[in-house]
Amino acid sequence: MAEPMKIRATLQGDVADVRILMLHPMETGQRKDSKGQVVPMHFIQSVVVTHNGKIVLDTQWSQAVARNPFLGLRVKGAKAGDKIGVTWVDNKGDKRTDEVTVTPAS
Amino acid sequence: MGKACLKWTMLGSLALIFAGCATYPDPATTRQMAEKMVSEDFTAPAPALLKRLVQDKSQQICSKIGDAKLTQEEAAEVVKLARASIQYPASGKLVGNWKIGDNLAHDGAGDRIQGGRLEKRKENGGLCQNCHALAPGEINVGNVGPSLTGYGLQRGNSEAIAKLTYERIYNAWAYSPCSNMPRLGATRHLTPEQVTHMVAYLLDPASPINKR
Amino acid sequence: MPTTRGGVAAILLACLAVWVAAPALAQSDDPLGVGRKMLAEDNPGELWIEQGKTLFYQKRGPKNASLEQCDFGMGPGKLEGAAARLPRYFPDTDKVQDLESRLLTCMVQLQGFDRADIVKRAISPGGSNGSDVEALALYITFRSNGMTVNVSLSHQKEYDTYKAGEYLFYRRSGQTDFACVQCHGEANKRIRLQDLIHMTDKKGVQEVVSTWPAYRGAHFVVRTMQWRLYDCFWQMRLPELKYASDASIALITYLHYQGNGAVITVPGFKR
Repeated sequence: MAEPMKIRATLQGDVADVRILMLHPMETGQRKDSKGQVVPMHFIQSVVVTHNGKIVLDTQWSQAVARNPFLGLRVKGAKAGDKIGVTWVDNKGDKRTDEVTVTPAS
Repeated sequence: MGKACLKWTMLGSLALIFAGCATYPDPATTRQMAEKMVSEDFTAPAPALLKRLVQDKSQQICSKIGDAKLTQEEAAEVVKLARASIQYPASGKLVGNWKIGDNLAHDGAGDRIQGGRLEKRKENGGLCQNCHALAPGEINVGNVGPSLTGYGLQRGNSEAIAKLTYERIYNAWAYSPCSNMPRLGATRHLTPEQVTHMVAYLLDPASPINKR
Repeated sequence: MPTTRGGVAAILLACLAVWVAAPALAQSDDPLGVGRKMLAEDNPGELWIEQGKTLFYQKRGPKNASLEQCDFGMGPGKLEGAAARLPRYFPDTDKVQDLESRLLTCMVQLQGFDRADIVKRAISPGGSNGSDVEALALYITFRSNGMTVNVSLSHQKEYDTYKAGEYLFYRRSGQTDFACVQCHGEANKRIRLQDLIHMTDKKGVQEVVSTWPAYRGAHFVVRTMQWRLYDCFWQMRLPELKYASDASIALITYLHYQGNGAVITVPGFKR
């Protein structure tokens, strides 16, 4: 796993509109495969978003979040060129960090 | 093909001159080419299932291309073939159990072919909900066909209506030649007994479809 | 493949996680339209574009070659605008080919893959990581994003294939007595809550040909036009359409020519 995320961070005034697409199976541990075996739990447990290194969002996720999840947030006090970082960690200890630069509104 | 080299395309655009005189093939050539594709480009777990692609006479007539219209003679023939196909249940009773019909009407599964396997269950679903509105208040219903909400309320449940309803479900083309509706009984997707349950579901005053 | 039961509502629940603050969206009387817009703006399918790009330029297969020499109709390796002109006639195979069958040709000839093997895994299981074919088809089409569909009929086989596709579009068979036109021949129709694209209308067919490959929400993977046709025959209770077969190419040719002028915008988002 741990495929790259797709992050967009667009400035609207002094607010960065951040949109994050993640690739993750988000298995609940309730599902059975075609052979009737339970597919083990495999889901993102925490997502942390940073703005120029400072944590602006620190979340705990559960199996309720769907496969290939989407997260959107707005970060106040952003400027073009600022760094937005996203890190997720799943229940297997797998993690992924990606970073983008805030772009001005087009 | 023997066509003239200079030709207006069917869409009325400018005539194009090519060294090879490429142009639309005639219908017979197209038919031959397409039917060859049909015979070669599909697979099924059993040869009998491949026969599903073979058209019967009515289907051939009803496969009008584009704006092509059904002639009166063709319509009459489709109706005649449809009437002849209608089979009634052995019991003679055309109105069955509306509760079974209710389940069938909402069941869109059964008899599909995937990954080399046939989806065989106890019986095929009626597929009604896919295209028709049924009981009032149900949101998850299609609109390819007319709404059936209040069907029995509007028509009563006389013997004549029961027979008409039975026949329309068994073979809709007996009344509306080349209708979009599948000839559910005639094609054996549903059994005569199943059709009687659908009739009950539509007509019975106690059926949810006739809820006020 | 499972069919969804809740239509767009289910997709909204499935794909949206926590919003820290309400997004600024255009006010709309059409709540489903608002939802669709949100899904279109942030489409998980986009995550497969990079995968497709990597696969395209990677040396793969027994011949350890990339797909850079593949000719999609505009010369070897030229991708910009190539998907917009497909299907078309190819002299080297002497047949009309759509994007996926052409991709197959190149994977076999350039990379040495076994055709039957690619076909077997071309359509990935729902919930999987997707197939290489799905990612590649998306990437190659993506390279024509923003361009208009421009299929031309000039070779005789292109005329023949177009007409065969039209014939097949209207060909009724099986216990459902369905041809494509039974469900796709009228405006504002839907099966349960799934809108049916009106394909005998210019705008409808343009929507069809410009939004595939697409992320299929219910399957969590990218799906292609070949898959879409296959799935229709499945629902019609008909036998299985062979992947990249002449019948599939004929239908795709018919639809794309009808859809000329559409602006390609992939990945699409489907339920």
